[in-house]
This record gives sequence, C-alpha cells and structure tokens, in this order.
Amino acid sequence: MAYRLRLVVAGSSLRAQRAIENLRRICDGRLRGRVDLEVIDIYQQPQLAQEYQVIAAPTLVKLLPLPVRRIIGDLSEEERVLRGLEIILLAPDDSDGS
Amino acid sequence: MAAEPLPADVAALHYRIRQMEHQIEEYEDTLGAIRRGEIDAVVVSDSAGENRIYTLESADRPYRVLVEQMQEGAVTLREDGTVLYCNRRLAGMLGIAHERIVGQTLQQFLLPDHIADFDKLLNEAKRAAARSELTFLAASGAEIPVYVSLSVLHDDDLTLMCGVLTDLTEQKTHLAEVADANARLLNEIAERERAEDALRQAQKMEAIGQLTGGIAHDFNNMLQGITAGITLAHQRMIAGRTEKAAALLDAALNAANRAATLTQRLLGFGRRQALDPKLVVLDDLIGGMHGLIQQTVGPTVRLDLRLQDRSWPVRCDPNQLENALLNLVINARDALPAGGGVIGIATAHAALDPADTANWEGAAPGEYVRITVSDDGTGMPPDVIAHAFEPFFTTKPDGQGTGLGLSQIYGFVRQSHGMVKLDSVLGAGTSVHLYLPRAKAQLGDQDADEAPESGPAPVRTAGPVTVLLVEDEPTIRGLAAEALRELGYRIIEAVDGPAGLKALQQAVRPPAPARINLLVTDVGLPGGLNGRQLADAARSLAPHLPILLITGYGGDVITGQDLLGPEMAILSKPFTLEALARKVQGMIDHAKVK
Repeated sequence: MAYRLRLVVAGSSLRAQRAIENLRRICDGRLRGRVDLEVIDIYQQPQLAQEYQVIAAPTLVKLLPLPVRRIIGDLSEEERVLRGLEIILLAPDDSDGS
Repeated sequence: MAAEPLPADVAALHYRIRQMEHQIEEYEDTLGAIRRGEIDAVVVSDSAGENRIYTLESADRPYRVLVEQMQEGAVTLREDGTVLYCNRRLAGMLGIAHERIVGQTLQQFLLPDHIADFDKLLNEAKRAAARSELTFLAASGAEIPVYVSLSVLHDDDLTLMCGVLTDLTEQKTHLAEVADANARLLNEIAERERAEDALRQAQKMEAIGQLTGGIAHDFNNMLQGITAGITLAHQRMIAGRTEKAAALLDAALNAANRAATLTQRLLGFGRRQALDPKLVVLDDLIGGMHGLIQQTVGPTVRLDLRLQDRSWPVRCDPNQLENALLNLVINARDALPAGGGVIGIATAHAALDPADTANWEGAAPGEYVRITVSDDGTGMPPDVIAHAFEPFFTTKPDGQGTGLGLSQIYGFVRQSHGMVKLDSVLGAGTSVHLYLPRAKAQLGDQDADEAPESGPAPVRTAGPVTVLLVEDEPTIRGLAAEALRELGYRIIEAVDGPAGLKALQQAVRPPAPARINLLVTDVGLPGGLNGRQLADAARSLAPHLPILLITGYGGDVITGQDLLGPEMAILSKPFTLEALARKVQGMIDHAKVK
C-alpha cells in the first residue's frame, strides 16, 4: 500500500457523507489498489484527533508516504486534494512500481 | 555570477522553509475552511490537555432527526425523573404536547400503580442499564403498555438518565389476536372432542344394540330348540314312545349347551378369558363334536370332515376351541344359500418355514396343526375381509349377529400362540384357517391332570357311581339325568316318592345289592310321599347315604344345615346343570373321603 490515508469526520453529517464520497472517487481513480483508508468518527475516537493533529472535521490525513499532510473540507476539488497531499508529483512514476 | 554550492546549513534552512510554507498553507486552508463554514466540528484542547469536540449545529442535525423521528420514545431525565428532554414520538405516544411533558416528572404520566416500579427502575438504572414493562396513561385515558429501558449518561459533572420507551400496544394487540386465535382453536378442539365423544357414544350404543340384538336372536333360536325338543319329547312320552324322547331331549340339551356357550362368549368378551390349556388331539375333538355341529347347521347342510388320522397334539383350551369351531361353522352356515350347501372341516399338519411366515404379520415359523373351516357360500369382498376380525363387526342383518365371533376366535388363537388366516373369494366361498402350534409333549407324557380332551364335554372318569334321581317333572329329570350321565354316573330315574323308595329297597336287597351312592330328590313330590319323607325313609335303609334335596321353594321350608342332618345338602331351583354337577360331585367326593 503506497498511501495510508485517514479521513476524520464528525458523525454522519451531509458534509461527512460528501467527503467520504469524494475521497472514494479519488481512491478508485488513479490511486486504485494503492490506498489504505480508514474513516474515523471523531466522536467515537476523539483521542485520534490529537494523534493526527486534527483541529477540525472533516480532515483528510496522509500518514504515508511522509511527510504527513492534512487537507480540510469536503474534498470536492480533486486537484486541490491531490496537490495538497503531494500525490500528483508521484503519480506518473508510480505506474512502473519504482 | 558563478553558482556556488550552498553550505549544508543553507540547504537545511531551505528544507525548513519549505516545511514551514507547507504548514502555513495548511493553517491557511484550515482557517479558510472554518471561515467558510466548510467544517462540522472543531477539536479544542482544554487546559488539562483533554480534547473536546465542538460540533456545529449542522453536524448535530442527523442525530437530532434520528432521535426525534425514531419509532421509540426517548427522554433524558434528572435523577428524580424530571423530564429534561423528550422526543416527538413520546409526545405522540402519550397524546400530550411536548412542552407539557418537559419539566414534569415522568411518573406523572404513569398508571399510579406503576409509579413505585418506575422509581425502583430509576434506582437500578443508576448502577446499570435497567429494563421493565410499565403502563402509561395517555391523555385519552387509554392505558399504554410500554417497555422502558433506562441507563445513566455521564457527561462530565452532569449525570443524566436516558430512557428509551417502546410502545407495546401493537405487539400486545397482536399477542391478544394470537391468544384469541388460540382460544378459538382450543374451543374448536373441545367442540370436536365433544362431537367425537358423542359419536363414540353413538357407536357404542349401536354396538350394544347389535350385541343385545344378536344375543336375543341367538337365545331365541336356542330356546326354540329347547322348547321344541322338550315339547316333542313330552308328546311322545304321553304317547308312550319314550325311546324316541331321549333323542329329542338330547337335541334340547344341545341347544341349552349352545346357550351356555354364548354366555361364555359374552363373559370372554368382557375380559380376557383365563385359558385352561390342555393337550388336545384336534381330530378327536372335532369327531366328538360332529353331532353337535350337524345339529347346529341343520339338515340342509352337508358336513365334509377331512381329518388326519391322529393329528399332532396341540396345547390349547379345548372349550375355547370348541367355541371357535362352532362359531366358524355358524358363520359358514350363514354364508350358504337358503337351500344349503357344503361345509368342510379339515385338519392338516403344517410345517411353516421362515419363507412361509415372512410376509405374515405375527406369524412364527414352526410346526402347526391347521384346522380349516370352509364353505362354498357367498364369500367376502376385500373391505369386509379387512374388518372381519374387529369386535362388533358383522355383516349379518341387524340383530342377527353379535360381531364377536371372529374377533374372539382371533383373540383365542393368538393367546394360544397360533395364527388365523382368512381366504375368501366373493361368490366362491370362504376358508378360515386356524394354526395351532404342535405341542412339544406327546400324549404319553402327560400327567394325570392332563388327560387329553377328546369330547365336547369334559368327561369325568367317575368309576361305577350310581345316583338315584327322583323328580316328577320329566323335563328337569331328563335334563338332570342327561347331565349326570355325561359326567359318567349311572342314573336310576324315579318319577315320584314311592317309585324312589322302591328303587332304594331294591338296591339294598340281598343277594346282589346294586349300591346307590347318592340320592337326588325333589322335595315336592306327588304320590303321598314327598322328598323329605323319602329322605327319612332312605336314611333308615342306608344310614350314610348322601342326599341332595332339590327345591323350588327357596330356603324357607327347610332352613339351616341343622335341620338337614349329616350328608345332606340342598339345591334351589332354578339351578344350572353345572351347579347340579358340581354339587353331586362334591357330595360323592366327600362321601368317598369318609
């Protein structure tokens, strides 16, 4: 798994639903098969907010590859998400597995 | 300007700047998102370093909707039961406006009887989740069964009770419907059982009707035989043709024997008869019954006896076997057309191997003697054959058959470890086969008690015993004499007191006294000498002569043994021939002992 992503949401709000939908679309696209994703409800596991240094929800946290990056919001702009997570730079070379 | 390589600390500074730029970018993103309201919750650390999550109203909404719209009532309560929050469902359940519930105690909406239970539940819930069924009172006054689940909510310093209330009305209605349906079903079952009882009762009455009708018919036939025989004998005696009278009286006796057989059968049906198995040679037994059977079937029926020459002995109750044979013969006769026909009675040895008995329920391989009673009469259809052995099943017209015969035969043969087989072809006749197991013992082996039975009546080897029978009523005298002769006694008959006295005097007169062992006399005798006087006279001639007095007057004329004297006994009319025989045998045996 090249990417370890954690999506931190607050319950099952409309925004949380949108964030989950958007992230799923991104992962099913160019990152298909290379994502280890967990969706964390901040109400159920508030201690993870501190561990991931999340100050608002929803927030997507990229734990791997380093460096750790966070992007806040409903993840509706895909390019912004990929740029924010520095994924776009790695993507072209990833196809040959290097 | 030439590019100089950057010193290491400069490279580190570059990296550090890039990191900080990223971080600033992230913070700006976060601040922007918060400003734009693009988030649901903010995580805030308090002074103790604990994380708290502040939720924006929009994020709470789904929970709010969930709690408001769920199918259960939801409340939060203070520890005393005061309602702090209640959802719409609870308001709807109680039919009371939401704002009139909040601020009141939940106890106010309970059936008064259940308030104590609720308080108890509230206390339990402070330790662990507690559940109970309680009844609430709706605004309409309706009682609402509610399943209440209470638990404690700890939120920092605040302790809240949280309750979920499930309306059980529908469930209860459903249960009530099920209970109703169940009750209806039970009612129907009870109704059906009543109907079945009534039917059984009706069937029983029908069976009893058949039985009594059958008995009445059979008895009438037998009485007819008895009356006709006696009447004819009486006429012939008047005409002085006494030698023919004996045969007629025999016929009457046979009819009476058949009547006794019928009563035996009825007794046998009432409970399992205690069988008295003996070694029996079937050919001898059947041969001995030939006359009785011919009389039973009447002159239009030809009997075809095909017996073995000395068949194997079997062990069974000879009286029951006679009953069975008579029954079969009567059935065979009834199957014949009015003009008569042929009834066959055959015996044969039958060795059955396992192949013979494989498809024969209840049959065991072995050596058997088979008795077959067959007729060339109407035969039976399969549905009749199927029921033929059932008690009370009869194809005879109403009141003419008891329906007991075959079932009794079946019972007897099974009890004797044998089998019964029925072959019948409609229009061609019926054969009933009785298989009785060959007895292990040979005829020579039996002890004295097991003398083979070979005649229709038990023959007592009584030795030369003579009975003087004094009775003026010829039918009674004839029947009694016949019965005692059957037991092997020599009978001297006398018609009145003087004739009896004359016989006694002859018996004791030398030189060749024909010893008389017993005097049986009626008390009421014509001719100037009654039974009592005859007895006195007899005692003077033979002091130890046992005397049996027969009286129709009951016990009043001669009361008590003290007035009777030694070796005297009394027998009241009407008596059965068996009773007479028992009495006579008893007295003779008693006298012999002396």
